[in-house]
Amino acid sequence: MKSQKAKHKALFRYTVIYLAAAAVMFVSLFPFLWMISTSFKPTSETFTRIPRLIPKSPTLDNYRMVLGETMIPKYFLNSLYVAVLTTAISIVVASLGAYGFSRFRFPGRSPALIMILGVQMFPSQVIIIPLFIVMKNLALLNTHKSLLVSYTTFTLPLTVWMLKGFFDEIPRELEEAALIDGCSKLGAFTKIVLPLSLQGIVASAIFAFIGAWNEFMFAMTFINLEELKTMPVGLTSFFGRFTVEWNPLMAASVLFTIPSLIFFALVQRNLARGLVAGAVKG
Amino acid sequence: MQKQVSGLNKGMGRAYARPASKSLLGEIKKNSMAYLFILPAMVGIFAVILVPLAQAIIISFKRYYILDILREDPPFIGLANYATILSDPQFWYSLRITIWFTFACVALTMLFGLLIAILLDQDFPGRDIVTVSVLVPWVIPRVASSILWKWIYDDQFGILNYMLSKIGLKSFANFPWLAKAGSAFWAVIIVVVWQSVPFIAVSLLAGLRTIPDEVYEAAEIDGAGFWQKTTLISIPMLRNLITILIVMSTIWDFKVFDQMFVMTEGGPAGSTMVLGIYTWMMAFGRLQMGLASALAMIMFALVMIVTILYLRLLMREETF
Repeated sequence: MKSQKAKHKALFRYTVIYLAAAAVMFVSLFPFLWMISTSFKPTSETFTRIPRLIPKSPTLDNYRMVLGETMIPKYFLNSLYVAVLTTAISIVVASLGAYGFSRFRFPGRSPALIMILGVQMFPSQVIIIPLFIVMKNLALLNTHKSLLVSYTTFTLPLTVWMLKGFFDEIPRELEEAALIDGCSKLGAFTKIVLPLSLQGIVASAIFAFIGAWNEFMFAMTFINLEELKTMPVGLTSFFGRFTVEWNPLMAASVLFTIPSLIFFALVQRNLARGLVAGAVKG
Repeated sequence: MQKQVSGLNKGMGRAYARPASKSLLGEIKKNSMAYLFILPAMVGIFAVILVPLAQAIIISFKRYYILDILREDPPFIGLANYATILSDPQFWYSLRITIWFTFACVALTMLFGLLIAILLDQDFPGRDIVTVSVLVPWVIPRVASSILWKWIYDDQFGILNYMLSKIGLKSFANFPWLAKAGSAFWAVIIVVVWQSVPFIAVSLLAGLRTIPDEVYEAAEIDGAGFWQKTTLISIPMLRNLITILIVMSTIWDFKVFDQMFVMTEGGPAGSTMVLGIYTWMMAFGRLQMGLASALAMIMFALVMIVTILYLRLLMREETF
């Protein structure tokens, strides 16, 4: 009798869980699947009154058109260039800074850390106006340098904060032993701390990359030459011109999503870590 | 959360308790290496964030029409820009809808984030697949997802109207979601919430995992059901984490730009002109840098109030 009741209870529990899980999966995945589906459809299957998720006659034409007849490949490479360089500079600068914050108790440390946390919350609209004027005066508008300078700095608070967390977990005794053996402080950092926190460095690098890969407002403001545009801005202007050509647009969007999809997959295990104080939003 | 955060800092403080008798100068000298380590990062933040912030304050007191600066130095006009803005009905409208937008996004994001976190905290076969699916909206770049949703919302061929008319809501057959003031506002909220929920859900899930099973077991012995366990244990124990996430989301959603710009550009007829868009358009559409800086400073002041709250909460949570 009792086991009968328990069985009913378990059945009820699983029914609720799987109904909820199905709803969550549908809402999370369907729009993404719809993007992929549209990107493989011919126009005739798009402008129809009875849409289907699986294309009847799938085609690569949209990808062929996007890759062969538009600026999308150029935008993509521009984004890749800016994002990779941003990530590299940001990680070098941030790991030095994070090590300083992690291993030293110096006067001014707490105010500096609080500033780093606070700066992340600034609305970009405040910074973009004076930065635009500075870039204009330095003749840096319409160069990738303007984006590199901005993005590197904007990712620093996050990367410093995340890396500091990872460095804090490495026992100090390891470095002390190296120092006794005659290693310099910088040597202890590069030979002991950095290799041990490789996982953290990869995670921080991926967040820096995704930040730069996604950025829209600065890229739109600083760059208006077609051949220098990054993916978000290029896609938007492409969108303006081909407003009803959903199939190539979705193909371009899929291409735009692939790098961040790969990187998210790599970082997945570290996702929950250091995020709250780190304030990332994809 | 507590566990996690203190984990980040464990091992600090014990080996390096500062001797009380040292002088400040001696401390600086002793740690001179530290300043070298942090120098590049601090110079960057100073030059590209803090100096521009100071410049923005100055510009907000000037009549700064960008086409004029070729001819003359922009003159100081005191608080005139602020006076103009405060008497501008569009500003008050933008402020009002930005606050509503933020409130709706944060409330919905937290609600769904918590529900999904609770779901993912249950033990059931297939949970990992659900967890990975939940992350997908976060992975899609904001601009790409905005364009994707524009396609979903398309009045004639969009999949949303098709689904709604399939389930009997025939009046939605050709509903122009983004071309009507009220629905455009909510349509963007749905997209922002869709993209924000994964982060909140994952953070809350990490928090839920730190609550020891024994606490729930003890509650079960006392006859607590699912509802009691959630409202009397999970939520109170995650109070600090939930507060921090609410504050962070508030700041993010208040600054919304990308999705709104791509999907509506502040339209139709200025009805979704949130402060973030209004400020950008004032600067780079109308080229009124002075007025735009004043607007940006007002945004900044509002965000800073919330940020200070955020930092105080964090400070309570962590020891630096």
